[in-house]
Amino acid sequence: MKIWGFMKMLLWKKEKSLNSNNYNNKPLKNKFMKKTIFSLAIVGILILSSAFSTIGDKLVSKSGHVSFYSHTAIEDISADNFKMVSTLETETGEMVFSVPMQSFEFEKSLMQKHFNSSKFLDTKKFPKSKFIGKITNLNDIDFSANGTYTANVTGDLTIHGVTKNITKNATITVSGAKVTVDVELSITLADYNIAFKKGKPSTNIAKTIDAKIKAEFN
Amino acid sequence: MKKKILKWGLIVVIGGLLIGVGITLYMFNQPHRDVQATTADYKMDANQLVNEYLANAEASNEKYLDEEGESKIIEVTGRVSEISADLNNNVVILLKTNGDKAGVSCTLLKTTDSANINLGDVVTIKGVIRAGAGYDEDLGLYEDVIMEKGKIIKQ
Repeated sequence: MKIWGFMKMLLWKKEKSLNSNNYNNKPLKNKFMKKTIFSLAIVGILILSSAFSTIGDKLVSKSGHVSFYSHTAIEDISADNFKMVSTLETETGEMVFSVPMQSFEFEKSLMQKHFNSSKFLDTKKFPKSKFIGKITNLNDIDFSANGTYTANVTGDLTIHGVTKNITKNATITVSGAKVTVDVELSITLADYNIAFKKGKPSTNIAKTIDAKIKAEFN
Repeated sequence: MKKKILKWGLIVVIGGLLIGVGITLYMFNQPHRDVQATTADYKMDANQLVNEYLANAEASNEKYLDEEGESKIIEVTGRVSEISADLNNNVVILLKTNGDKAGVSCTLLKTTDSANINLGDVVTIKGVIRAGAGYDEDLGLYEDVIMEKGKIIKQ
């Protein structure tokens, strides 16, 4: 009841100020205007209350899949990792992916050793890679409605201790309570100071590799 | 005389080449380390491992991680606080005591039977460590110790 009184007061004030703003100083008798202001006030209150109830709405995922693929004339190499941890704030569009590097599994043991070695990704010194980013077109994505959305994501990718700013399109799929984020990116190894100086790995690994990232939030 | 030297020289060269190719092929195709067939480096409680990492992540990485990814094999004992599946349909068991900041998240091998494991059980899992625990301020949460290729060896 108190709220209604408060709202009426607000409306009355608004009416008054509108009246005084009216240059020919006609009283606001227009019912339509009144209705509009009233509904605007209600919409405003609804937006505010919904914003408050979802502040800190952070989704956490421990089910992720990161894979990459390297193609050269000599050899195709791929690896998979299922231990990524990620967060997604639906209210702000902030997302973070944390990938434990030693969890990449290769078909061949020798490749896995090369990948981890200090000459390549040095996973003992840099056990995790990380992406910290933000969705820049958050208005286009409705996390409460089923569908597939394209999100523009920009942020910092840190691999091998080197941080680079990247901008990519991610596909966000909302299905009930489940939100899936898919990103594909190509990584130029030299950008992150990753390179075999000589020998077989230097010729058998592509200069740019394709990575696919999937995170499932339930 | 000359012919004989040439013949033997050729045999030695070809033999050497064959051995070289053989070694290269063996190296190239060497199998992955069988974690379950290897003796464990450490036997410890889950919260001890977590606490070591929370106290000093750098020293723990030095102790447990290997430069070529063949990190320490640990038999870790703890209380089952979560049972889930990863996107590769492997069973993942989280060993964590109530109230602890982080636990040990262990992915089991597909060949491992975990059907009769229940929440609250105390189990021992043998696996390889991949990454340590710690607070990540970007995620805004504690990350668990990560272990893979696990097998429940005691329940």
